[in-house]
Amino acid sequence: MATVDAPPKAAPATPLSRRRRFGDRAFRWTTLVVSVGLVVMLAMLLWVLADGGWRAIREFGVHFVIGRDWNPVTGRETYGALPFIFGTVVTSLIAMIIAMPIGVGVALFLNESGSAWIKNPLAVLVDLLAAIPSVVYGLWGLFVLVPLFDRTVQPWMSASIGKVPVIGSLFQYKGPGGDIFTAGVILAIMILPIVTAVTREVVSVVSTETREAAMALGATRYETIRLGVLPTARPGIIGAGMLGLGRALGETIAVALVIGNSTNITASLFNPGYTIPAVIANEFREATSAGVHRSALLFLALLLVLIALGMATVSRLLVRRTTRLMGGDVAAQEEAATSTLGMA
Amino acid sequence: MRIHRLARPAVIAAAAVTLVAAACSNTSSTSSTSGGTTTGGFQGTALNGAGSTFAQPLYQLWSQSFLQKEPGAQINYQAIGSGGGIEQFTSQTVDFGATDVPLQSDEISNLPNQNYIEFPTALGAVVFAYNVSGVDSGLKLDGKTIADIFLGNITKWNDPAIASQNSGVNLPDEPIQTVHRSDESGTTAVWTGWLSAESPEWASKVGADKAVQWPGGTGASGNDGVAAGISQTEGGAGYLSYDFAKTAGLGIADIQASDGSYVAPSIESISKAGGGLNFPIQSDTTIINSTAKGAYPVASTTYVLIYTDQTDQAKAQTLVDFWTWALTDGQSQTEQINYSPLPSDFAKSALKELGKITVNGTPVSPTSSMG
Amino acid sequence: MSATISPIAVPPTISSHRRRKDRIFSIALWASVVIALIPLLLIVYRVVRLGVAAVSVSLFAHTALPASMPGGGMKQAFFGTAMIVGIAIVISVPLGVLTGIYLSEYGSGRIASVVRFTAEILLSIPSIVAGAFIWALVVVALGSFSGLAAGVALTVIMWPIMARATEEVLRLVPTELREGGLALGYPRWRVVLRIVLPTAGAGVFTAIMLAVARGLGETAPVLLTALGNDFVNTNPLKPTDAVPLRVYNYAQSAYPAWRALAWGGALMLLVGVLVLSVTARMLSIRQQRRMR
Repeated sequence: MATVDAPPKAAPATPLSRRRRFGDRAFRWTTLVVSVGLVVMLAMLLWVLADGGWRAIREFGVHFVIGRDWNPVTGRETYGALPFIFGTVVTSLIAMIIAMPIGVGVALFLNESGSAWIKNPLAVLVDLLAAIPSVVYGLWGLFVLVPLFDRTVQPWMSASIGKVPVIGSLFQYKGPGGDIFTAGVILAIMILPIVTAVTREVVSVVSTETREAAMALGATRYETIRLGVLPTARPGIIGAGMLGLGRALGETIAVALVIGNSTNITASLFNPGYTIPAVIANEFREATSAGVHRSALLFLALLLVLIALGMATVSRLLVRRTTRLMGGDVAAQEEAATSTLGMA
Repeated sequence: MRIHRLARPAVIAAAAVTLVAAACSNTSSTSSTSGGTTTGGFQGTALNGAGSTFAQPLYQLWSQSFLQKEPGAQINYQAIGSGGGIEQFTSQTVDFGATDVPLQSDEISNLPNQNYIEFPTALGAVVFAYNVSGVDSGLKLDGKTIADIFLGNITKWNDPAIASQNSGVNLPDEPIQTVHRSDESGTTAVWTGWLSAESPEWASKVGADKAVQWPGGTGASGNDGVAAGISQTEGGAGYLSYDFAKTAGLGIADIQASDGSYVAPSIESISKAGGGLNFPIQSDTTIINSTAKGAYPVASTTYVLIYTDQTDQAKAQTLVDFWTWALTDGQSQTEQINYSPLPSDFAKSALKELGKITVNGTPVSPTSSMG
Repeated sequence: MSATISPIAVPPTISSHRRRKDRIFSIALWASVVIALIPLLLIVYRVVRLGVAAVSVSLFAHTALPASMPGGGMKQAFFGTAMIVGIAIVISVPLGVLTGIYLSEYGSGRIASVVRFTAEILLSIPSIVAGAFIWALVVVALGSFSGLAAGVALTVIMWPIMARATEEVLRLVPTELREGGLALGYPRWRVVLRIVLPTAGAGVFTAIMLAVARGLGETAPVLLTALGNDFVNTNPLKPTDAVPLRVYNYAQSAYPAWRALAWGGALMLLVGVLVLSVTARMLSIRQQRRMR
């Protein structure tokens, strides 16, 4: 008569398993706490900035964002941040106008290019642009780009486009020194790698079938891309742009060195300007806590981070949707974005 | 439990870096009695100061020279502007603050306590500097003309207002690119104070303070930023300390004094302006437009702020020793970098102020070798 | 009479008009690549040319001197950066790796989604904001600018990078390895620490290099938290110098000697960052080949 063996000793009631469960729970708990800590850190950041900055809003209200006078001197304080908002928006816009076409172009090139011989080194080079520290961009911008533009590009543009009615007022060259236009160009160079990396991943997931179908129909490569790939990839490319825009909005040091630090709002892009990150960097250490100055800067920082994080959120949604729509590998695409953003 | 294998090398690397840093550092930054070499006795400890960029070349030079006296006294001076100096002094994140204009009443009421001393350390000048090819130093300008330049009323170098004061000088038909300070600056306060005295239009439109609403021009950070801005811009002009202008090789204007003569900034003309100082320092203490003959009109002192109720013996001793030395032996170093020494009676008054510094109630006297 | 055979390169149904558009498009793509590369070449060239002139023993062996005294260097800045980045590594690597482990090993729930989302958007945080945040927290609490505060400010930036990169790398480890370990009776935590993490080891190392490359060059957070120092400082609780900070200050100065030093510092930053980035990339390509 066969005896039934006792079940193997993996039953949960033994001491070994209890220790194992404890170890597992402790480990999971530890990683969980640390990970939640990251969210807590973000929450603390928003809280600290809001707590520090609400005084400025209480004193100045809406005038804070539409006023043009920024005077931090004790006893005569008035804070209107419009010059900085204006400068931030305009420099970022210039950066986008320049970086988007070029970034998408490079991404398409990398994607279409068959030979790894060109593709890999090129991809590495574009990523190197992302790795260059902001202060190095600023140093180069200050001593190379600003004088170059002052001597050649800006007088030329002022003499040509500057004569066109209406639009021409954007391009009046008044004199040498840092200016909004140069800051925008530097930003364009700095955000190019992000735009390229994310666009590249988005475009690559457009299924091969779409491409082959288009080719089979006799479409040229241009037509395939324009009519087949780009429309589908468009949300993702917009997402790439938003990521780049978010980066441009928050860039501090390179801009502070080339923008000329002027709180005047003028029509011409060739005049000096100011941005939110630049004014925070320049004025933070002298901002009194007794008055409203420090609070004003902290509020600007809060504004900045909300916009940057907001853009990142929307971008993520757009890029993911496109990737998923095309049945692509979301993880691989995110990895590419992470490494580029990490370097940027 | 075995830590991940990469954690160990990472920790070792970090520890190694820190150890190497510690081993190779010049002197200890915390101990007050690090290995004395020459003199036995008090070696000094590390101090941090912040503020005026106007005073930066002087304080950094003094800091290096003082290391010969007290090798442990690493006096780290970071030039973040007078406004920054006052703010960091107020928040007590530095051991001394530096500013080119005395504390104003609002700033005084913001201080955590009123137990502080404020004393001048040297005389300097704020000059009108420019970078115009073909125009050397010595352009003669009066206050009203300069105010008009910064107001934007005068936009070209060959403007009649400038030409009429400078016959024989070949002024080009070039735009004037003004550079001003983007940070809260004592230099700006001195300069705009003088402009307000010289031009009623300036006084009503812009006024005088550490930061003002400039009618135009580019902003630069610190005296050195202004010097850089002017020297990189053909046709550039701005206001900055004499030393910075001279070192950057900029053209420096002769400014019209109250008696009508044009005075160039120099060690002598700056010294002559020193008569206006009086203790105790008031919010409106200034030595601009001195009536002394041959005095440069826009001369300025620069001040140091120290709390008198200190708690750290080594720091207090170093503070007293350093500033005592600066007000005595250190004064002989001022001229080599284009500053002027304080008139001797003011140096003595400043030394008396230092005597107010105490540690837990006990006054601190300078180490004997300081004099 | 010989019949000429025309080679058919393109299907004859494509009009010359469409072919021309295609040509223009290709040229446009090439042009964008060239335009994108020009700044890189210009910057690297200029930094190398001006920086090399300033790189000498003096740059590393001498501390900062006033412009009136010749022979100054940036020794204190290199030490400061080492200390600040060292502190940032010590804090952000464990935090980042643990977060990455959580996201990859336990990462399917609601909490994990929130954490993942947070980490991803934090990648886009403006670094000046990190500086302002840590100033309000650490500098105010300590009553002093410090290397520690700067290190913590860099952590705010490096932690999300470490977390996301670690998660990516751990995900690449085949599930079979995990299942094998569990089947052998190892507890979950041991499987992760002894099998998964070591397998992804080079990848985690790559993540650290990427994060460090980023932290090395950051100026804005250090500007608001470290104050700067003309002397070598070994006390993390005191003001400290850093290379990007020193370059930023010297860049705005009017003294040729200091400006030359700025280029030297910039070159060193560039070299450090490029070496780390390129090595990280090479390592990760090798790692991916191993995994797939």
